[in-house]
Amino acid sequence: MGIDNTDRTLASNRLVFEVRRDMAAYRRFRENFELVMGEYGLTEEEKEAWRTLDLKKLGDLGVHPYFLPQISRLFHGGGYNHNRSEACKAYAASVLAGPAGDQ
Amino acid sequence: MGEIVLTIALAHAPGLTGWLDQAPQDQQQRLRDGYQEMGRIVRAAKPDTIIGLANDHILNFQFDNPPNFCIGTADIWHGPAPWFKDWLNVPDYTVKGNRDLAHTLVREGDRAGVRFAYSDSLLFDDNWSVPLFYLTPDHDVPLVPIHMNCILPPLPTPAECFRVGEVIAEIVRTRRPARERIILMATGGLSHDPGGPAYFNVDEAFDRWFLSLLEEGNPQRVLKEATIERMKQAGDGGTSELLAWIAAMGAVGGRRARTICYEPAVELRCGMGGVVWEMA
Repeated sequence: MGIDNTDRTLASNRLVFEVRRDMAAYRRFRENFELVMGEYGLTEEEKEAWRTLDLKKLGDLGVHPYFLPQISRLFHGGGYNHNRSEACKAYAASVLAGPAGDQ
Repeated sequence: MGEIVLTIALAHAPGLTGWLDQAPQDQQQRLRDGYQEMGRIVRAAKPDTIIGLANDHILNFQFDNPPNFCIGTADIWHGPAPWFKDWLNVPDYTVKGNRDLAHTLVREGDRAGVRFAYSDSLLFDDNWSVPLFYLTPDHDVPLVPIHMNCILPPLPTPAECFRVGEVIAEIVRTRRPARERIILMATGGLSHDPGGPAYFNVDEAFDRWFLSLLEEGNPQRVLKEATIERMKQAGDGGTSELLAWIAAMGAVGGRRARTICYEPAVELRCGMGGVVWEMA
């Protein structure tokens, strides 16, 4: 993992890029992300990582690290994003295998 | 000839507006004081336009053909982009651009050997929303935003970024109207690692070392020692936003930076603070 491991051609990267730019696309993603993943052509390995919010796996596959907390926020919301927020806790549980702030 | 009346560089992390109350009380106060002091310095310089340099958080630079530098050429900008509103917790704002200045930078950049992409439709996130909230809260100073690639390797080298700052300064000096007053503002850094293993850490030793380098007024030493690798060691996912600071440094010659504030703000997940180079 790391910014040097980014795969610019990975479908998941284009998905994150686009849903953050367009609230209609974001709402559609929230309503049916299985459908959206299919439309973007994610591999089954990518889809399974999204379903289980396995951010570490997505990073290993080549999702840009900057996107990983944003993926957590796509599901858990971005407001009041402090270290004990749901979005941060989900990130920490997946990537760091422990609670935020313990590292 | 135009004039760069002030150069400033400051961290823009979203916690400063989004969840500052989570930081220790004394640190909150020092951060508010420091950022408000930077705002006073900016407004006292009476700028006609701010030229900004900041990381594009892969919000505008598409994966198929990302530039390293893109100048915002619109007449008017709106922020924050909708998806980022609750995260940033700042009021919606509108700020004028400066199309004439932006076009001058693009055109004269080509002639100086620096290729800038340009765009009328950049989305703004924390890169501009957080600094402007503190520096120009009335959003009454036009902004020419220059988005940079600081986090999608291969990155522009520190020397390339420094050269961009030199060219911007030269264009302002030689291709702009007399008495035009410009502030060069870099935003980003300091140590942080969004999405990486050090997401909840701050590398205070690196940050204080980097600030002390800027205070020496020796750009060649900065270019030699503040390498991308060194930045990545201090936070792989975000510390290289300091390339924007190095670009700004290209405009200041051998002037020494003055640190206005610094806080290792673990609750904000970022080394926070800023410096100014007084240009008089």
